[in-house]
Amino acid sequence: MTSNNNVVSFRHKLKKFTTDGAGRLIIFLIGSIILWAFISLFIIERPDRYLPSPMAVILSSLDMLYKGSLISFYSDTLGRLVFGGIVGILIGIPIGLALGLNRTIADMFYPLMNFFQSVSGIAIFPVVVIWFGNSDTTVMIVILYTSFFPIAFNVLSGVRSVPVRYIQAARTLGASRLQIIRDVLLPGAMPSIAVGTRLSVGFAWRAVIAGEMLAGRPGLGNMIFSGQELDNTAQILLGMVMIGVTWIVLDHYLLRPLEADTIERWGLVQR
Amino acid sequence: MGAGAEMITYNRLSIALQKRFGRQRLRRMILGSIPFIVLIFLWELNTHFGWYDPIEIPPISAMWEAIFWLQSDCPGFVAAIEGHNDCNLSNNIISSIGRVILAAAVGIPLGVAFGVLAGINRVLSGYLEPVGIFMNSVSGIAWIPLAIVWFGVGWETTLFIMLNTIFWLIFFNTMMGVRAVPRVLVQGVQTLGGSRWDTIRHVYIPGALPSIITGMRMSLGFGWRALIAAEMIGGDSGLGFMIFVSAVEFKSEEVFLGVILISIIYLISDRWLLVPLEKWTVERWGLVWKPT
Repeated sequence: MTSNNNVVSFRHKLKKFTTDGAGRLIIFLIGSIILWAFISLFIIERPDRYLPSPMAVILSSLDMLYKGSLISFYSDTLGRLVFGGIVGILIGIPIGLALGLNRTIADMFYPLMNFFQSVSGIAIFPVVVIWFGNSDTTVMIVILYTSFFPIAFNVLSGVRSVPVRYIQAARTLGASRLQIIRDVLLPGAMPSIAVGTRLSVGFAWRAVIAGEMLAGRPGLGNMIFSGQELDNTAQILLGMVMIGVTWIVLDHYLLRPLEADTIERWGLVQR
Repeated sequence: MGAGAEMITYNRLSIALQKRFGRQRLRRMILGSIPFIVLIFLWELNTHFGWYDPIEIPPISAMWEAIFWLQSDCPGFVAAIEGHNDCNLSNNIISSIGRVILAAAVGIPLGVAFGVLAGINRVLSGYLEPVGIFMNSVSGIAWIPLAIVWFGVGWETTLFIMLNTIFWLIFFNTMMGVRAVPRVLVQGVQTLGGSRWDTIRHVYIPGALPSIITGMRMSLGFGWRALIAAEMIGGDSGLGFMIFVSAVEFKSEEVFLGVILISIIYLISDRWLLVPLEKWTVERWGLVWKPT
C-alpha cells in the first residue's frame, strides 16, 4: 500500500517536474547537450573542425579561463554594452521628449530620424571606419547609433499617448510647463520608456557583437571571429553559448521584470 | 498689377496643392523635407569650402558619378538584369535582394509549418519555446564565424545567416500566435465535425496570421541587417560586401552610395510592401488576435 502510494506520488512529482517551467528547461538543456554530443561524436566526420563536442567546449573554456582571456573578453563586451546602452538611452530620452512636446519639431525631424533609423548601425560601420579607423571609438559610435533610435521613438510615442485631459487638468490647476513635463508627461511615458529601454539594449547587444567582430577590438565578438581564423571551432561555440546565455539572463531577469514593474506601477495613465 | 496677378496664381497653386494632398499632410511633407534640404545644403557647402577631407565626406557629385563609374563596363540593361560580370553595382544589388527573396521563400513556409506544429501541441511547444528563445538570443550575427567554418566564404554563408534569422523569428511568432488562438474557436470547429486539418486550415492559421505577418516584418528587418553584416564578413558579393571592400580601399563615395542604397531598399520594402500587408492582415484576420 505504502509502496503504491510512493509510486503514485513519484509519478505525480515527475509529471509536475516535466510540465513545470524550470523542470522543462533542465530536461531540454540535458537533452540538447546529449544530442549535440551524439552528433559530434558519431555522425560528423571531423568534429574538431565542424562541431566539437560539449566536452571540447568546456575544455576550451577552462583553458581560456586559465589564461585569463575569457574574463577579460567578457568584461570588455559587457562594459561596452553597459556604457553604450546607458549613454544611448540618456541621449534618446530628452530628444524623444523634445519631439513629443512640440508637434512642429516632431513633424520636422520625424522623417529624418526615420531615414537614419533604417540605415542600420552595421551598415553605417564602414563609414565610421573611414572616419575613426578600427578603434574603440568606432565600436562605441555604432553601439550609440543603434541604441539611440528605439528609445527615442518609444519616448515620442509614449509622450503622445498621454491623454490631453491630464495635461489640461494640470494646467487648469496652475501647473507650469516644467511641472507638466515632470508630473504628467514623464510618468505617463514611463511604460514606453521601459519598452524602449529593452529594445535599445537588445539592439545595442547585437551592435556590440558585430562591432567587435568587424573592428577587431577585444571582446566576445572578436573571440568568435578569431576562433574562425585560428580554426578553433570550440572557441566559436563557447562564445556563441556565452552570447546567448548572457542575453537570456539579461532579458529575463533584468529587463523584462523592469518593464513589467514599470507598466504595473505607471501603466494606469496609459488606459 | 503684375504683383497682384502673381499673388493670385500663387494662391491658386497653394489651394490646388492643399486640395491635392490635404492641409495637414502638405504641412508635414514640407516641414519634414526641411532637415533633409539643410543637410544636403551643408554637405554641398562642405564640398565647396573643404572643411572635411573628401575622403571623409565625399562630394555628392562624386557619389552620383560612382553609380556610372561602377556600371561603366555594363553592356546594357538586359545584361544588368542577367548579371553580367562587369555590372558591379547592379550585380551587388541583385545578389543582396535575391538572397532576401530566396531566404524568405524557404524560411517563411518552413517557419510557419514548424510553428503551427509546435503551437498545436502544448507539451512540444513547452520544450521548443526555450529553443526559440535561445536561437533568437544568439543573434544572427553571432552565427557568422560558425557559418564560415561550415560553408566557407561565399553565398552559402550569407544565405544561411539570413535563413537562420528568418526561420527562428517566424517560428517563434507563429507558435505564439497559434497558442493565442482561443480554445473555444477550435472546439467550435471540432463540434461541427471539423477534422484536425480543418482546425489548422480554418482556425489556427487564420488566427495566427497577424502574428505571422508581424514576425515576417520583424524577420526581414533583422534579416536585412544580419545579411549586410554577413556579406561584410563572410560574403563575396552584395551591397554589404561592396561597402566593406570600398571602405578598406578608402573609396568613400562608394561607401556612402552603398549605405544610402541599403537604407532606401529597406525603407521601400518596409513602407510599401510589409506595412500595408500587416495593416491589411490585422484588419482582415485580426478578430481572433487582440493587439496588446
